[in-house]
Amino acid sequence: MSLPDAVVAEIDGVIAAVEHHKREAAVDVMYALQRHYGYLCDEAMHYASKALDMTTLELESLATFYDYLYRRPVGRYVIHVCDSVVCWMFHQDSIFDYLCRKLGVPPGGTTEDGMFTVLPAACIGNCHNAPSMLINGRFYDRLTAERIDAVLAELRQSAEEPVRCK
Amino acid sequence: MPDLIIDGRPVRVPKGTPVIAAAESLGIVIPRFCWHPALGAAGACRMCAVMFLDGPVKGLEMSCMVPAADGMVVETFHPEAVTFRRRVVELLMANHPHDCPVCDEGGHCLLQDETISGGHALRRFPGRKRTYLDQDLGPFIQHEMNRCIHCYRCARFYQEYCGYLDFGPMQNANRVYFGRFASGPLESPFSGNLADICPTGTLTDKPGRYKSRRWDCQRAPSVCPHCSLGCATVALSRYREVVRVEARENPAVNGHFICDRGRYSFGYAASAERPRQARADGVPTSMSTALALAGTRLGGVVEAFGPEAVAVVGSARSSLETQTALTALARAGGWRGPAFFADRTEQQAVAAALAALAGGRARSLAEIGQADAVLCLGVSPLHDAPMLALSLRQAARAGAVVAVADPRPATLPLPFTHLPLAPDKLPGAAALLTGAEAADAAAIQRALPLSPELWPALERLAPAFAAAGNPVLVFAPALAAQAPADARFGLFPVLCGPNAAGAALVADADAPACDDLARAIEAGEVKGLVLAEADAAALSPRLAAALPGLETLVVLDHLPTPSFAAAKVFLPTQTLFESGGTLCNNEARLQYAAPVAPPGEPVSRDGRGGHPPRDYARKLPGTDPLPAAALCAVLALEMGLDMPALSFAAFTGVGPEDVAPEGTRATRLPAAPTAPAPPSAPPGQGLVVVRDDALFATDAYGRYAPLARAQAPAASVVRLHPDDAAGLGLADGEALTVTVGDRRIEATLAVSAAVARGAAVVPRLPGWAGLPAAIGPETLRRRQP
Repeated sequence: MSLPDAVVAEIDGVIAAVEHHKREAAVDVMYALQRHYGYLCDEAMHYASKALDMTTLELESLATFYDYLYRRPVGRYVIHVCDSVVCWMFHQDSIFDYLCRKLGVPPGGTTEDGMFTVLPAACIGNCHNAPSMLINGRFYDRLTAERIDAVLAELRQSAEEPVRCK
Repeated sequence: MPDLIIDGRPVRVPKGTPVIAAAESLGIVIPRFCWHPALGAAGACRMCAVMFLDGPVKGLEMSCMVPAADGMVVETFHPEAVTFRRRVVELLMANHPHDCPVCDEGGHCLLQDETISGGHALRRFPGRKRTYLDQDLGPFIQHEMNRCIHCYRCARFYQEYCGYLDFGPMQNANRVYFGRFASGPLESPFSGNLADICPTGTLTDKPGRYKSRRWDCQRAPSVCPHCSLGCATVALSRYREVVRVEARENPAVNGHFICDRGRYSFGYAASAERPRQARADGVPTSMSTALALAGTRLGGVVEAFGPEAVAVVGSARSSLETQTALTALARAGGWRGPAFFADRTEQQAVAAALAALAGGRARSLAEIGQADAVLCLGVSPLHDAPMLALSLRQAARAGAVVAVADPRPATLPLPFTHLPLAPDKLPGAAALLTGAEAADAAAIQRALPLSPELWPALERLAPAFAAAGNPVLVFAPALAAQAPADARFGLFPVLCGPNAAGAALVADADAPACDDLARAIEAGEVKGLVLAEADAAALSPRLAAALPGLETLVVLDHLPTPSFAAAKVFLPTQTLFESGGTLCNNEARLQYAAPVAPPGEPVSRDGRGGHPPRDYARKLPGTDPLPAAALCAVLALEMGLDMPALSFAAFTGVGPEDVAPEGTRATRLPAAPTAPAPPSAPPGQGLVVVRDDALFATDAYGRYAPLARAQAPAASVVRLHPDDAAGLGLADGEALTVTVGDRRIEATLAVSAAVARGAAVVPRLPGWAGLPAAIGPETLRRRQP
């Protein structure tokens, strides 16, 4: 399956911008491919490797290091729940538990309907609004069980195209 | 030169030395995992914590991360440091499996040593251990990630030190994983070193699995015989079989590492095909019968035709002891030889290459790593001398300019400029880069008018080489005349065999070469030949063709070469692992390889899969082979010759007792012989034949090592420049039939602009030795389906 022209053009543009230092564009190229495929499948990794003149191992090192690059299929909404000190102080642990119980998945899991993936993150830099989570690039602050219910219901209803991290 | 005190003892070390290395110079080995002298510090394992009591740094610090400084007072056994290290090893062990009894590293494992010495014995952490899925990393390295302690030695060695990027770290934090993107053989030709540097059983030696515990092996310091560099190795033998070869540190030559060719080509010694029994007219017999027969036959030739009718041939793979004994034997009998080289030109070339080293111009591999500009002339580093590529990489990492002027396609794990030029153009290119003044654009265009694509690269390189303070010329012996008079340039010849330098030192300047002897046999002047550890077919096809014209052919060898099959009398010799011996490497450095175990049929074969025979009175099978030098002496005795006691000191200036552990340079170099004429363009139309080594199984020993042979490419490849391929009407990937003498070889054509115009690159294998110097369409033909 070949990539749509628009994706190819976007990748070429990102690489052209750094011309002699192709590898500088590695993360941006992987984001572009992730937006297209939904996650970084092997095909995406091989494409990035050719486009960037880097080995698949080098890219795998990056892709598996960073939180917002997904090497496995994820749901329509990826919930990065903050798993760090300040959020713990605000009883984040029970929030995390609540979310997993509510969705019926373990940390790292995806709901059967493919709507949600729950991932722990440390930290998402939103400590002043702890406990907090980040869903497709949008913060949800000062979480409580009720607020989580409302957010999930809202997202289930939402028809807008989900925003992914850039 | 900072002065500091470690554990109450003063020490002075060079500036920049980390405290861990300073301590080691006192014999104090601070526990460590990630720190390695060749890789430097990473600060990843936290194991080398020591207490700094006084000086610019105070408190508990990692001794690998702190450079030694004046006034430091360091205590390695301070209670706080000891407790800290015990906790670190306890943390590392929290995830490490307790599989030591079945682990290949068990018993020579740094983690085991430091867990015990750190005082950690009882597990307190009740949680589950981290587990991983392993990968298949190919034939050399076994992967067992559960044992990993995340010290990053492997990744730093593989990626930073060697420059290969198909193996490395993945994931993050507690889940870090060292491996490849997907299972598959490691691409680095230095991958075997991973087994040596991994401080745990995560990466272990795969061919050595299920053979022996390391401590049960007989071990001896050895020298690698698979190219001319002479890297230091340790040979390990168990149950009459060399089971493993490891790198041995020699700071002047290979540092801490060796290449995979040197590590995995040892199988020739225990090969099932190795001839271990004497033969008379093809029939197995006892050593004494064969020796008596050899004496009688050669004596008969001498009686009938005079001593001049007997000749001796040796080779560049024999030890100096053997080469010296052959010389003594030939002198005692008044025979011709010994001949060590294919033709007189080659011998002169090697002698000239060594002569150029006089006056302190020789460079070692270690010194190449410190050069600021290196030109490889007629040398393809990765295949002619693999460890040279690793030294070039270290030079390049420090900013050196590296250029490879060679007709063959070159791949190197470093930034370099390849100048694909036919052999006759190489002297011109060398002159452009080795002059005291930078060659200008006009000079470059005059020298290489037909290679405009190389002008920009040469214009870039010329000023860099002219400005270099410590440049090195790496050259093939045929280009010895190109060694610049400019004393700024260090010299590093790459020769054609592990002891080619020895052969050139031992051989008389007017000694006949193999081609001369072949002519003498054809003319009926030579009737008897002693062929010692030499494969006539690989050395000189003409000599091989002349062998049937002999009355008697006495072969001494430990490889099942075609010459062994042709022998009238065959005498089995011991390998370097068995007899030991001294080899002289490409920079004229003599090094001694100690014997590791006596010869014998491996127990695994002796028992035919079961228990070996329980007959304790029987003679062990396969123990007949003797050192070739000893066979020469016995043969002389059989023939009533008075063989002079000759030491190789007479040829090298260095006696056996003077060879230092790190090697000693020969003091007696050939006195400026006439340098060989530079390679000339082939007369008329035709492509110059250039022979190319592969990483595995093109060297004399590797061809008979099963594991090395299994790595060799399945099909032979002929490489041409696109213009030449078009001229012949051939396309990339086409099946070829190559006519060599009266035989036809099947090969595949690879077309690449990295091949010099006018060159045909063919494998350096005995089957291809019969190709003429230049070939054309009548030799390279499309294979008819």
